[in-house]
Amino acid sequence: MKDIFFDLSVRSVRLNFLRSLLASIGIVIGVVAISSMGMLGTNMQLQVKDQLSSGADTIVITNDAVRMGPPGSSSSSSSSSSTGITKTQLSKIKLAAGTTSKIVPIYSTNTEFTLLSTPGRSSVYGIDPDDITKFLTISNGTNIEGVNDALVGSTIATTFNLKIGSRIKIGKDTDESRPVVKVVGILAARGMSSDNVNTDNAIVVSNDWYTNQYGGKDVYSQVNVIVKDISTITDVETAIDTKLNTDEKKPAVRISDASSRISSITSSLSSITTFILAIGGISLLVAATSIFNVMMMSVNERIQEIGILLSIGTEKGEVRRMFLYEAVILGILGAGIGGIGSLVIGYSVVSYMIGTTKYFFLPESILYIPIGMVFGLMVCILSGVYPAWRASNMDPIDALRSE
Amino acid sequence: MSNTPLIRFADVSKVYHLESGDFTALNQISLEIDDNEFVAIMGPSGSGKSTMMNQLGILDVPTSGELFISGRNVASLTALERTHMRRDTIGYIFQKFYLIPLLSAYENVEYPLILKYKKRDESGKATAMLSAVGFDEAMSAHRPTQLSGGQQQRVAIARALVNDPKILLCDEPTGNLDRKTGHQIMDILCGLHDKGKTVIIVTHDPKIAEYANRTIILEDGSIAA
Repeated sequence: MKDIFFDLSVRSVRLNFLRSLLASIGIVIGVVAISSMGMLGTNMQLQVKDQLSSGADTIVITNDAVRMGPPGSSSSSSSSSSTGITKTQLSKIKLAAGTTSKIVPIYSTNTEFTLLSTPGRSSVYGIDPDDITKFLTISNGTNIEGVNDALVGSTIATTFNLKIGSRIKIGKDTDESRPVVKVVGILAARGMSSDNVNTDNAIVVSNDWYTNQYGGKDVYSQVNVIVKDISTITDVETAIDTKLNTDEKKPAVRISDASSRISSITSSLSSITTFILAIGGISLLVAATSIFNVMMMSVNERIQEIGILLSIGTEKGEVRRMFLYEAVILGILGAGIGGIGSLVIGYSVVSYMIGTTKYFFLPESILYIPIGMVFGLMVCILSGVYPAWRASNMDPIDALRSE
Repeated sequence: MSNTPLIRFADVSKVYHLESGDFTALNQISLEIDDNEFVAIMGPSGSGKSTMMNQLGILDVPTSGELFISGRNVASLTALERTHMRRDTIGYIFQKFYLIPLLSAYENVEYPLILKYKKRDESGKATAMLSAVGFDEAMSAHRPTQLSGGQQQRVAIARALVNDPKILLCDEPTGNLDRKTGHQIMDILCGLHDKGKTVIIVTHDPKIAEYANRTIILEDGSIAA
């Protein structure tokens, strides 16, 4: 059965189609904003999770007192810190982790460098060459063999057009006796890694070269423990914690794994997503004003018609329903177009901003389209509540007199 | 037939509270209208005719006194009960026709049936009613703006009658029509009266009032004759 009140609403919208369409455009923009921003945020989270999950089998042990900079004091390129993971602590870690886990002690700092005459800045990791292939992949070239050999990350290689055999002067441009390293290999891209070793924009040298330059031998920036069986990661963490953090009030080291880091980063990204969603929501508020305005115009233009309806026995609820239907129609129109628009615009935004759309059609991402549509529809209905209430509560005598 | 009048005004007053002071539109009116009467209400502008029609149409309630329609005190009804009484007991015919512009002639007549039965008319009652006022199927599909004044008033009569109300209230039903069409409309109303309807008509035109069995003349909110 076709509802006569729905029919009346459809005809009213048709009669003022352009006005209705323009009002719906506000909803379209709101839906697209909410959906696209939501999908963008979710796609960012999914990508980060994916990248971090590659190091899910790794426990990272750091000393809270460690600051960015070489652990030794002989550095000429950056600030220093007096503490890190000591040799004794490393021994305890090895003991606690057991023989099945791989232990990778890592030195790290930030430094300036020059390639030909082009200056740059990057992280430098000092790692035992035998440990490098335990968790890094060399996409081109070979591993470090000589003392002055180095590996470079994929991003820095592309940015500075580094090739196998390229030479990099490490340190400040003003330093006359700057050491030179030779690129022997280029590392595969890792993205944002959960093990705190972000090599894409870094130079990896041998641990010997690093301590020769920066000092701090046997005082590591971090120690990575790669467990063989991921299900034992919590047990290994507990064992290390028991062994090293004997003073509960003042733990000697900080122990973290991918899950805690993923949780921390996705929590931050989630906050950002919520913030940008709120910005999208503002456009829906603007749209709500527009819909409210159109609905009030519709009520004001139809005062006499409302008077007729009421005077011949139409219930207030039926008049209310008629105007709410009109709001629903505007909402469906706006949300429908907005949903289609979100698919196209959201896809483009995600593709442009993140560089990949492989997560776009996953349920947690695409879900934002129906969410945006429902929000748009709800905003429309809420905007129509007062005009509908006003229409239904008119005095039929006054309404009939209206011209 | 029951002795209870169909309509009974008992000392009904209607006072409007205006910024310029209180205005008494109806002043202690007492009046009875029986079933199947044809009553004309006449009087100069401002005499209270429209206020009386609003009371009879249950669009308004008395300030004091009591108005009984079909034995029920209008003031004691809930808003919803008054709405249902307007829908079921009263057929309202207006001077300006007041058809719903977005609906066709057929839908305008079908509308009160939908209000009453909460479904589209499948009984053919709306079509029959339109046919009774001289509308064929093609004409029934027209919107009010595509109809002449006389045609619109016929549709309005069909709409007023479709729920088979006891009372037909006609507020200047020929006021916007030429004389010939006006008399055609009055002939329809007389026919309805002959079939048992109670017809109450407000008019300025004494010739129209002549169709009625009884004429009530209002002056300054009171019954003068």
